[in-house]
Amino acid sequence: MSTENLLIPLMIIIPITCALFLNLLHEKSRVVKIISVIVALLLPTIPLLANYGIQYFGGYAPLAQNPTIATGLPSFITGSALNIFHPAITYVFGSAQKLMITILGFVALFAIFISLYEVKKPSGVYIYLILMGVASVMAMLLSDDIFNLYVFFEIAALTQVGIVLVSKVDHNYETALKYLIVGSIASPMLLLGIALLLGVTGNVNITDIVYSIKTGLVDPHSPVLLMAGSLIIFGWLYAAGLPPFHTIKSAMYSKALPTGAAVLQAFSVFTFVAIGVIILRIFSYLHFAEIFILGISLIAMVLGITMAITQTDFKRLIAFLAVGELGYIGVGFGLGTVFGITAGLFQAVNEAVITALLFIGFGTIMYKTKETELKKLGGMLVETPKSAFLVLLAGLAMAGVPPFNAFQSKLMLVQSSLNSGLPEVAIIMVLLSIVTFMTFMRAFHTIYLRPKPAGLVIENENIPRVTIVAMVCLLIICLVFGLYPQLATNYLQGLAMGIA
Amino acid sequence: MIMDTQLASLLTAGALIVIGIFGTLFLDNLIKKVISLAFIGDGVNLFLIAMGYKAGGIVYIFLPGMSMSEFSQNAAYPLPFALVLTSIVIGASTMAVMLGLIIVLNKKYGSLSASKILGDN
Repeated sequence: MSTENLLIPLMIIIPITCALFLNLLHEKSRVVKIISVIVALLLPTIPLLANYGIQYFGGYAPLAQNPTIATGLPSFITGSALNIFHPAITYVFGSAQKLMITILGFVALFAIFISLYEVKKPSGVYIYLILMGVASVMAMLLSDDIFNLYVFFEIAALTQVGIVLVSKVDHNYETALKYLIVGSIASPMLLLGIALLLGVTGNVNITDIVYSIKTGLVDPHSPVLLMAGSLIIFGWLYAAGLPPFHTIKSAMYSKALPTGAAVLQAFSVFTFVAIGVIILRIFSYLHFAEIFILGISLIAMVLGITMAITQTDFKRLIAFLAVGELGYIGVGFGLGTVFGITAGLFQAVNEAVITALLFIGFGTIMYKTKETELKKLGGMLVETPKSAFLVLLAGLAMAGVPPFNAFQSKLMLVQSSLNSGLPEVAIIMVLLSIVTFMTFMRAFHTIYLRPKPAGLVIENENIPRVTIVAMVCLLIICLVFGLYPQLATNYLQGLAMGIA
Repeated sequence: MIMDTQLASLLTAGALIVIGIFGTLFLDNLIKKVISLAFIGDGVNLFLIAMGYKAGGIVYIFLPGMSMSEFSQNAAYPLPFALVLTSIVIGASTMAVMLGLIIVLNKKYGSLSASKILGDN
């Protein structure tokens, strides 16, 4: 996997360029529609077509692989670790990145299509924000450079705020400001962690940092390095929406439009993976790091799912369930075995699809009623039978009911925790899956099955066909990965083996 | 003296970060909160600059007539400065968005109190 590949930078360049262009076209809805459709289709297509490879930006391959540059350099450079260091911003496109970026591309594709067809005059600004966010998260998944990751982490945070701001939901400005204030503490902490890593290792390339630690070029137990680890973990908690940031993250989901919430949760899931993988790669020699990830993930699961029970707004309910499901991914990472990490990565892919499906599915209720309060809803099965059926299947998938994908990933997680001698973790996961199922069924019963409340106004407009088609496509992905889990796990295993 | 410059910068950076965190957590006025957040960002930037400081160092440009060993021994490490430049841009963008939001919310609530504006939401 050493060849440079032109399609790797295009995964980032195309959405960013088109996003900037679309931002200028917010009054021209037809042009916005055409460009958005083309770019949306390219989002999952490019990673599907691209071969695995490495791309160097602003530099070149390590001297050891680059005899033309290495010739003539003094021996104190070519004879030292500098010979194998990466003097460039490096992007690595492997099989795991291929799967995750493709899935993110599909979620964004459906979100863009639905947003284009649910509104009469599509906004170029909204699509701009989605594309910028997608490009940022894709770059985070690809980047092997921790500072480059930080830059895209900040862009992703700002685009998430933007998506909430343009959603025109009550109190969205307040939530966005709160998220920015919290982020303005967490982001500098992440940067400080990166600065300390740079200070200790002299590097921002993750592969080189890992090499320096493993070969003893730097003291692995240096207090500065441990401090760097703590600060990076703090930034990770914020980016992913893990406790103590779970309430603000779920508030962000609930203040976005359904399509916005679908992409926001996908951003969180893949940001969780991107930074989580880096933490494991650099600090896996510290047993405490894995214990911390396991602990915080269990807390996220318990808090997310129990807080979902008490919600009276269905968007907030799904948002808390999404936070709880993030915990499952973290459990896989925290177990630290190849099987556990593969299960965690598989769970990440599954969650991104299922939660997007749920947000879009419940979004049809908002489309018909403009209402999100559970107590004001009811009798929607008669109004939207197709989407009700699809939402029910999505809920079953999230709870881990076979034959859907989350059943396979959760089963792998349970097996992995049993193999690691942690049956209590397995029991907690099974119990919380049951609670997830009950919480979802309560919401489903309230919205679809109980009699329609007297004051509920239902609009005559039919749900756009594209919304139903998008839901069916996402459900097909759930079914395919549920029936053939090896289609996903084969792609993810390589990355898990590299970090376990 | 050389060590003092770096140490003083690092201590100032630490002080800025601590003051910033204190202000963000305990001040109620949103503008003061944003200023405190700027303190945190500036503290981290100063930390990066202090880390890249090299006493008697030269600019990281290989000039004609310079020997390889002279360059490699005296050139400052440029990476921290490049990072700070990017970080400043990011910080400015975030602050612009925050201030814009504060203007809108101030018009809506007629107040800059964080507890009033953000408390119930």
